[in-house]
Parts: sequence; structure tokens; C-alpha cells
Amino acid sequence: MASVGSVALILALIASVYSAIAHTAGGRRGTASAGARLSLVAVCGLVSVSTFILLFALITHNFRLEYVASYTSRSLPLPYLISALWAGNDGSLLFWAWLLAVFAAIAVLPKRTTGRELVPYASAIIMAVEAFFLILILATSNPFAELPAVPADGRGLNPLLENIGMILHPPALLAGYIGLTIPFAFAIAALIRQEGTDWLAPARTWVLLSWLFLGTGNIIGAWWAYVELGWGGYWAWDPVENAGLMPWLAATAFFHSIMMQRRRGMFKVWNLTLIVLAFNLAIFGTFLTRSGVLSSLHTFGESSMVPFFVTFLFVSFFGPMALLYLRRRGLKDETEVESLASREFSFQLNNLLLIGSVAVIFFGTVFPAISEAVRGVKIEVGRAFFNQVDGPVLLATLLLIGVCTLIGWRVSSTRELARKLLYALAAGAATAAVLFVFGIRQWYAVAAFAICAFVLFGVIYQWASENMARQRTRGEKGVRVFWELVRTNRPRYGGYLVHIAMVVMAIGVIGSSAFTTEKEAGLKPGQSITIDKYTLTYDTISMGDAGDKFVVRAAVSVVSGGKLIGVVTPEMYFHRSFEQPVTEVAIRSTPLEDLYVILAGWDRDGTAALKVVINPLVSWIWAGGGILISGGLIAFWPGRRKDPDSNGAA
Amino acid sequence: MVKHKKFLIGGIIIFLATGYLAYTGFQSSATYYYTINELLAQKGSIQGSNVRVTGQVAGDSVQTEPATLTMKFTIIDGPASLPVVYKGAVPDTFKAGIDVVVEGRLENDGVFRASVILTKCPSRYEPVKSS
Repeated sequence: MASVGSVALILALIASVYSAIAHTAGGRRGTASAGARLSLVAVCGLVSVSTFILLFALITHNFRLEYVASYTSRSLPLPYLISALWAGNDGSLLFWAWLLAVFAAIAVLPKRTTGRELVPYASAIIMAVEAFFLILILATSNPFAELPAVPADGRGLNPLLENIGMILHPPALLAGYIGLTIPFAFAIAALIRQEGTDWLAPARTWVLLSWLFLGTGNIIGAWWAYVELGWGGYWAWDPVENAGLMPWLAATAFFHSIMMQRRRGMFKVWNLTLIVLAFNLAIFGTFLTRSGVLSSLHTFGESSMVPFFVTFLFVSFFGPMALLYLRRRGLKDETEVESLASREFSFQLNNLLLIGSVAVIFFGTVFPAISEAVRGVKIEVGRAFFNQVDGPVLLATLLLIGVCTLIGWRVSSTRELARKLLYALAAGAATAAVLFVFGIRQWYAVAAFAICAFVLFGVIYQWASENMARQRTRGEKGVRVFWELVRTNRPRYGGYLVHIAMVVMAIGVIGSSAFTTEKEAGLKPGQSITIDKYTLTYDTISMGDAGDKFVVRAAVSVVSGGKLIGVVTPEMYFHRSFEQPVTEVAIRSTPLEDLYVILAGWDRDGTAALKVVINPLVSWIWAGGGILISGGLIAFWPGRRKDPDSNGAA
Repeated sequence: MVKHKKFLIGGIIIFLATGYLAYTGFQSSATYYYTINELLAQKGSIQGSNVRVTGQVAGDSVQTEPATLTMKFTIIDGPASLPVVYKGAVPDTFKAGIDVVVEGRLENDGVFRASVILTKCPSRYEPVKSS
């Protein structure tokens, strides 16, 4: 059975190479031969067969396969058996190849209304990428490798990974990375064929989809890191986290700037550069996660993949750049930015800031490798670097959301703009004043919150005035106006919602990074610790078996304002098969702040070591994440009207 | 073309501002990353400055004191070894025998006072296969 998996991969590799060549042959003509299309379908089918064989082996505990024995055990519940597909290096690469094949079939097989003549070259590029991953799997990390003897049980999944995050976070991020291959392929096809704007429609759809996956993956990852101790808070600027954030930022820049090309024929070279950048960042992300070239909290091993990835990145970055240079004559912008108070200019600024922040994150992430190569010493930049540099840049981007929403397209009427800006500024100033009255003196946080208020007011004001305008012209009433408005222009209002989400998340990030307080203490039963307005009393500790683990649980009662508001129970698990504890943090969450209690250790005499953290406004980050995903879905969801963008975006 | 210039200037200002932020941020947070031998070799010059050191937690060297949340252990790298003291919550993946990165300062008494312990990922997420 397992050998069938390997054989299917080899056949898929042959089919993908054939498909790439056959598609290239039809590229100039603009139509692909039946053989080319059939072989693409064959790749999709063969890689699917491999993937299902591996899944079947995981579910049926076929421990003859080294991969199955390494990542699963008999006692592992079904969802985690499935998640083992992406838990390890070999499986996750297979998952990559499989999703790409599926995305390829969805993107290129249905008939499309625009960009049909781009399909052959685009398919050729996608198949070339597919071939690369299949070579990588077969040469360095075949998940179908067999053990000489069948072990009685597998080694199982690390108990730290037994979290819903394991089921959602890796595949979401991977799907985001993989999805960026499609717009890249269409962009390059357009560049080869020297066709102007046809690539933008499929590119927008797929970039938006990838953006949504990456955003969801990052948010779930942040939440997972927050609730599971050991990953250090919701965001640690770890190389692997950065690798997920960078393509997301580049994708954000991209679908803002393509609006300019679609409406005004501007930023042509820039847009092509952006998509090449986004794709390379996605590959770089996969590379970082999988190769261990940079020390990260996440993963190590597999240095044999380095030359493969370096070659691939070299070709996939410099190839398109050279092509772009050759084609530069046909890519002159049709109009220029007219005024500083125009949406065009604010989009340009937005792009500069977003790409600036990508550059900073990239620099910080790869710096240890650079310094080691150049000076022979490894110098790492800490979280402070990223916070200090990207904080202001991202805050400026946020501010721009507000300004941009109020400006409208092209030169706005100055008086109208001044009036709107004045209101929004007043909202910001009022917020700052209120915070000051309540005794908040960290100027940085006050300024940041004022910006949040400015932007939030700006977006909601604009939305409300568009609502009112529709009410006047169409005579619709109440909720119906709102509904109709959103329904008829989902990309715009999905965008507004995403902007609101960014503000809500920013509020959470500012609050939790500027006002966190923590305290640690070793307590005897009955002793208390006071932090801020809370008094926590350590009551008892209990220990006992629960299934296949040993559980230590401290009961801590929380008193605030003279009233008992609850009992929290931070825990530690010890799994029988793993010499490693799992610390279950007790989190008491309110919209204003999270009380985060960790059982850090205990002694035989009943002493418990507790660490208590107050994280203000963290729940805003998750709420913002929810709004972000819904806004993205609204913007993305295919509409009823004939929309070329929704083509192939099932 | 005059307009073009205006935007160019705007771009340059943003670039310079980001560059300045990056420079100051870098100054304040750049941390040397050493092996134990490298650290011990430089003793005098880096005493008291924030550095990261990588090594393996020596078996049986871990002592914990829950009452004060203090943990003492030794990290080793070949023949070199370094005693470490850490106060705070310990990552779940920490145990004797694993590779860790400790961040902190080397004190005059030769003990490394760690403010952060970075453990590498859970081993089952990605076992090390290469040498």
C-alpha cells in the first residue's frame, strides 16, 4: 500500500513535468492541448491518491511507515491522527503538493471569461512549482519511508500540540502560502504574453483567498500561543511567525494597489513586483518552517533541503525580475497621481508603509544569518527591535486607513474633507482626553488609542453617510438599506469591516503591550498574593490520575473589590508516555482584561509557585480576528452577478 | 514631473524614518549569540551585557525551588559548561538533555543569570534528523 503512495508520487512528478512542458508549448497560442490539461488532472489525482494513502495509514496505525510511527500513537484521538498529516516535515510537504495540485485544478480547469489565454503559461508555472515540491519530497523527505520492523506503538504527538490550534493553524497557514502560487503564475503568464490587465481578476481572487487563510492562520496561531504556555505570549516575533506575517502584509499591499491599476492603469510594475515578492515570501516561509536555517521556537532539522530552496528562491525571484526588466516598455503607467489629498496618494503611502514593515521584519528575521556570514558572530535582534520599529510603522498604516476612507477617490472637495477630518480628529482628541482624565500617562499608548478612535470614527462615519445617501436616493428603510448597501458592493464593505477589525485588534495589542502587570510568588495553602485590584488566595492543591495523564491542580480563589469573583484552577499535566509537563493556564477573561494564572511548580510541603499576569484588552485581539475573518469572507464571497473575479473561487 | 518629485521626497522621508527607527531599535536590542566556549573566552568584555548562549541542559543538574520560583541548572557544550540561574515560569518543553538558549548576563561569580529561557520546539513536532 505504502509503495503505491511512493509510485503515485513518482508518476505525479512525471506528469507534472510533462504538463509544464505541454502547457508551455501552447502558451503562445493561448490554448492548452488536451494532453496538457489531462496531465494536470492526472497530477491532481495522483497526489491525491498519495495523500489519502498517507491519511489512511495514519488513521489505521500503520506503524511500518516511519512517519506514522513518529507522529501518532494508538491512543491519539482521530482529529489529531488527521492533523499528523501536517505535524511533521514529510507529511506537510506532501500536503503542500496536494493542495497546490487541487488549487491548480480549481484555478485553471473551469472556463474563465477573462484571462483565458493566460491559462497555458500560468498552468505551466504552477506545474513547475508542483514538480519542484515533488522532487523535494522524493529526494529528501518521502513520508512513505518504511521501518525495518513494525513497532507495537508509535511515539505519539507531543501533548503540547494536542490543541484545536494544531488542527487549524498549520493547514490555514500552508493554504495561504500555497494559494499565492496561483496569482504569481498568472502574473508571470501576463508578463510573458505582454498582456496588460487580464491577470488582475484571477490574481485578486487568489490573493484575497490566501490573505484570508494567512490571516486566519496567524490569528489562530497567536491564540494558541496565548492559551498554551511555552510559546511565550500571543506574538513573539519568532522567525516562523514572521514568515507567516510577511506574505500577509505583502498580500495586503497587493490588493490595495491593484485597485489603482484596475481603475486608473497605475502601478503596473509595482503590482507585478509585489506579487513576485509575496510568492517568494511564501516560499521563504515554507523554507524557514521546514529547514531550520534560523533558530526558531518552532522547528529544526532537514538541512538537506537548503540547496533545493535556495535554488528555487533564486530562480523564482530573479527570473521574474529579469522578465520585468525586459518588458518594462509595455508597462508604462497611464496616469499619474494627481494630488496629495487623493486616494491614489494614500494608497501609495499605504504600500510604502506595508512594504517598509515587511522589509524591517525581513531584516530582523534574517539578521542572525547575515551577521554570522559577514562577521562570524551571530547577532540576534530581540522583540524590542520589532516592536520599536514596526509599532510606529503599523500605527501609521492604521492612521492612513482613517484618512484614506475619508478622502474618497481622486481629489476630494476640500471643504467636505476638512469637515469629516475635523469630526474624526475630535473623536481622537476626545479619547485622548478621557484616557488622560482616567490617569493614563503613557503618551505612546494615549496617542495610539487616539489614532484608533480617529480611524474607527472615520470608517463608521463614512459607512453611515453612505448608508444615508442610499436611503435618500433609493427610499429604502432601516436595516434593509444597510443590507442592500453591503450586498451590492461586498468588496467595499467587507473592506470597511476588515479596517474596523484592524482597529479593534490594534486596541488589544496596544493595551496588552503597554499595560501588562505580572507577579510571581511561592505560596503555602491559605496565603494570598495581591496584584492590581485582585487578591488571589491559594486554597488547595490536588493530584490524581485522569485517563493517561497525571493532573496537578491548584485551586485559587479570586477576590476583587471585597467580593469573591471566582475560583481559577491552573493545572499541570504529565502524560504517561511523555516526559514533559503540559501547563494549562487558567484564564479568566473579561472585555477589559484577562487574569492569567500559571501553576509554575509545587513542592511536597504544599507550596505552589504561581505566576499571575494581568493582560489588558487581549480579548479585543480575538474579537478583532473574528471581525477580520468575516470581513474577508464578505469581500471574497462570490456574488450573484456575473463577476469574472469569482471565477474558479469555490 | 514636479509632482513626481514630491512623491519621491515623501518616499525618501518614509524610508529615512523607518531606517532611523530600525537603527535605534537595533542599537537597543541587538544581542550576541554565543556558544559556551565563546562566552567564556570573552569573559571580561561582555560581563554585564545582555547575551544569548546556547547549550544542552546537563542531566541531573536541574534543581528547582518552587517557593521562590528559582531554578538552577548547568548547560554544557562538549567539555565546556556554564551554571545558570533562572527565576520565573519554565517553558513546558524544558528538561534535562534538551538544547536551550538562555538570555541574560554573566555575573562576576561565573554564574549566568538568565532572564529568558528559550526551548526549541516540542521534539515530536520536528525530530532532528540531520547530524
